[in-house]
Amino acid sequence: MALLRARELTKTYGSLRALDRVSFEIDEGITGLLGSNGAGKSTSLKLFLGLIEPDGGSAEVLGEDPRRSPEYRARVGYAPEHDCLPRDVSAAEFLAYMARISGLPATAARLRASDVLRHVGLFEERYRSMGTYSTGMKQRVKLAQALVHDPLVAFLDEPTAGLDPLGRREMLELIRRVGGEFGISIVISTHLMGDVERACDSVVVLDAGRLLRTGRVSGFTEETETLELELVEGADQVAAELRRRGLAPRLDGRRLLLEDVSGHEYDVVRDAVVDVGALLYRLAPARHSLADVFAGEAKGDDSPDTARETSG
Amino acid sequence: MSADAGEVFDLGYRGYEGQRAGRWSRRDAIWRDGIRASLGLGRGVGGKVAPWLLLGLVLIPMVVLVVVAAFVGPATDPNDFELPSYADYHGWAMVPLGLFAAVVAPLLICPDRRDGVLTLYAARPITPTDYIGARWAAFLTVALGAVWLPEAVLFVWNVLDARSPGTFLVHNWDVVPRILLAGALLASVLATLGLLVATFATRRAYATVAMLAVLFIGSALGGIAEDDFSGGVADAVSLVSLPQTLDDAVHWIFGDEGDRPVPGGVSFAFLVGLTIVLAAWLVRRAKRLLRG
Repeated sequence: MALLRARELTKTYGSLRALDRVSFEIDEGITGLLGSNGAGKSTSLKLFLGLIEPDGGSAEVLGEDPRRSPEYRARVGYAPEHDCLPRDVSAAEFLAYMARISGLPATAARLRASDVLRHVGLFEERYRSMGTYSTGMKQRVKLAQALVHDPLVAFLDEPTAGLDPLGRREMLELIRRVGGEFGISIVISTHLMGDVERACDSVVVLDAGRLLRTGRVSGFTEETETLELELVEGADQVAAELRRRGLAPRLDGRRLLLEDVSGHEYDVVRDAVVDVGALLYRLAPARHSLADVFAGEAKGDDSPDTARETSG
Repeated sequence: MSADAGEVFDLGYRGYEGQRAGRWSRRDAIWRDGIRASLGLGRGVGGKVAPWLLLGLVLIPMVVLVVVAAFVGPATDPNDFELPSYADYHGWAMVPLGLFAAVVAPLLICPDRRDGVLTLYAARPITPTDYIGARWAAFLTVALGAVWLPEAVLFVWNVLDARSPGTFLVHNWDVVPRILLAGALLASVLATLGLLVATFATRRAYATVAMLAVLFIGSALGGIAEDDFSGGVADAVSLVSLPQTLDDAVHWIFGDEGDRPVPGGVSFAFLVGLTIVLAAWLVRRAKRLLRG
């Protein structure tokens, strides 16, 4: 059974269609909800949490309609994008409180609060009031409060917002750990391709309220794997030799690009370069980034700005 | 093999396998948090000053009066020192209690709203009614404690001071339900109004000013209606003077009406109706704030 399922999901705000008959499924693991501002990511999360009503279609979590009963939210975590932490309370006290509201008994709540704060690296600072925390620490507490009641799935809205590059990398590593070691499925919404590539197993790409694509992150990049050869000289001869050997290289100045290569073709390329006696400068798989995937896709799309915006 | 003293164990992540409590336990958590917030517990010294000062103003005068009465002895002459009646002391307690509602009720709502915590409540397995109901109950608990305690001190003193405490109790047992009812009326009106006003402000200071304005403007309108007009319309308008209406209703509860333009029973019914309307409005506000 899919963890989350959107069926013909539609939500409008006045004349704005935030989501327009979107259908997709999300399985266990770490999934990225990717899209530019206004793509419908936060709206999707709120619909899955049952915080807002859809205007059409349905959003299901673990096969249940989230609006029917608040009970199911005991097994769901949520970290919003904006600030959500009281300033004059300590992280330990706040997390224990949040755990209790999710149904954990008082003693278990306190233990789990300390435990989760240790996992996100805030054990030493847990008795300080949160008003004194840095942005990075607050993002960690937001993650921790989404996990403190040991949910089956946690929704994280822009978890790397406002973080410097190091903080961002640490946050993504933490998210990978939660998804792997903790066994808690994660759905992150982000406008950063890099976040999805680094942390996610699957991706759902939204654009202006419509579904653009969905699938495994590795599948997206592997299917368009390209080998790139950069030669100091003799690029023409190597290209000719490769064609003779049955490959179809694309010549781009001193660079040769070979689409869809696999193990055996690497040997062919090596032999061709040796036979011609060309001077090789670089040989590397030009593994496509998600940005390239969507740049290619957006060409035929009626909204060509999508890929550029989402690659930010 | 015994472990070295300095060995570090990485326990790794452990899920929670234990029991998950039901809805009342979750409401209880919000109620407890509300009581802690009302009394400034777990907050800095600054957070404790206002609530304890105002609660002190409700309780301490009664303790002082009782101590004075103990030294002065029973009154024999009309000019002698006399303890206030139960109803009259409510009239005094209303002032610090009104201030308490204006200053402390916003503590239960405004910080949650200002810091965005309401989103987290919304994403937990509770409803907006659970949230606001538990908050209301928390404030009501503290307010009830504040209003019942001095009356209880007065009642216990009166029992102990009587020539025969047993006989006194037999003749005056009805005072106890009257104290409970009057306190409940005062506390629920102020708690409901205070929390409702607080849901309209993101900053505590605005909520406090707005609550005081509601109490004072009502008072002023009621006063003008009584002084400059007469008849049924003036009496109806004078009901919006909450301090006066509360005072009338409390005196009616204690069967000590005197000469009042609006019958105490009418004031009482008006306040009960008003509280129900305000409570319904409060639940609506909570739904908007948590689901908006």
